[in-house]
Amino acid sequence: MNLTSEELVRLNIEAKDWEDAIRQSADALLQNGKIKASYIDAIIKTVKETGPYIVITKHVALPHARSEAGALESAIGIATLKEPVVFGNKENDPVKYLFCLSAKDSESHINALAELTGLLDRKDFYEFLDHAKDASEVIKYIKNL
Amino acid sequence: MEFKGLVACRAGVGSSLMLKIKVNQVISEHKLPIKIEHGSLDSVAGFNGQFIITLSDVAKELEGKKLPQKIIGINNIMNKEEILTKLNVFLEEVK
Repeated sequence: MNLTSEELVRLNIEAKDWEDAIRQSADALLQNGKIKASYIDAIIKTVKETGPYIVITKHVALPHARSEAGALESAIGIATLKEPVVFGNKENDPVKYLFCLSAKDSESHINALAELTGLLDRKDFYEFLDHAKDASEVIKYIKNL
Repeated sequence: MEFKGLVACRAGVGSSLMLKIKVNQVISEHKLPIKIEHGSLDSVAGFNGQFIITLSDVAKELEGKKLPQKIIGINNIMNKEEILTKLNVFLEEVK
């Protein structure tokens, strides 16, 4: 997970709906120069047009869009919501964990994404996120795996 | 006979990559006669394999396009049981 860092972690976000949750989770990437604002709009637009395909497993969303929509550097953000929100994905709602992905090209993020896939397989990862106090703790946990 | 499947998603950089990892795990764990390629929805047109596997809402969209391939929709990417069951249904059908 060399594509994530303390600055890209946001814990216990208070989001009023799915759109707000995406905007706030993606904001960490925006603030750190990983994406342009247009990238966030592209994510929201796609979800509105075609449904919540970014909700990939129980309680987890992977907000992302095409590179051309405004991905500047490959990065993965980590965000948790204080209260889960409904995305309209019957199988996997409500969403509590968001991993906003920016992929600059089709290669540079593959290893990190494989590692994230491994993390999402671990029950203890979610439990850890539920209790994590700050961003440095989250990064330390991931690095020590 | 070995079958060829395409893992596709809208952008081709996120969900489909994750799904590809999980599908390949299932294929190797159960030694299924399937080879997987990966791409965005743009690559669907030039694909010459037997099935396309993607997230369920994308699958719904593809089903409307009357493609020659069988479309498999997955609800939960991390659920290997679901992936295995649906791949087996496909393998039964083409037998």
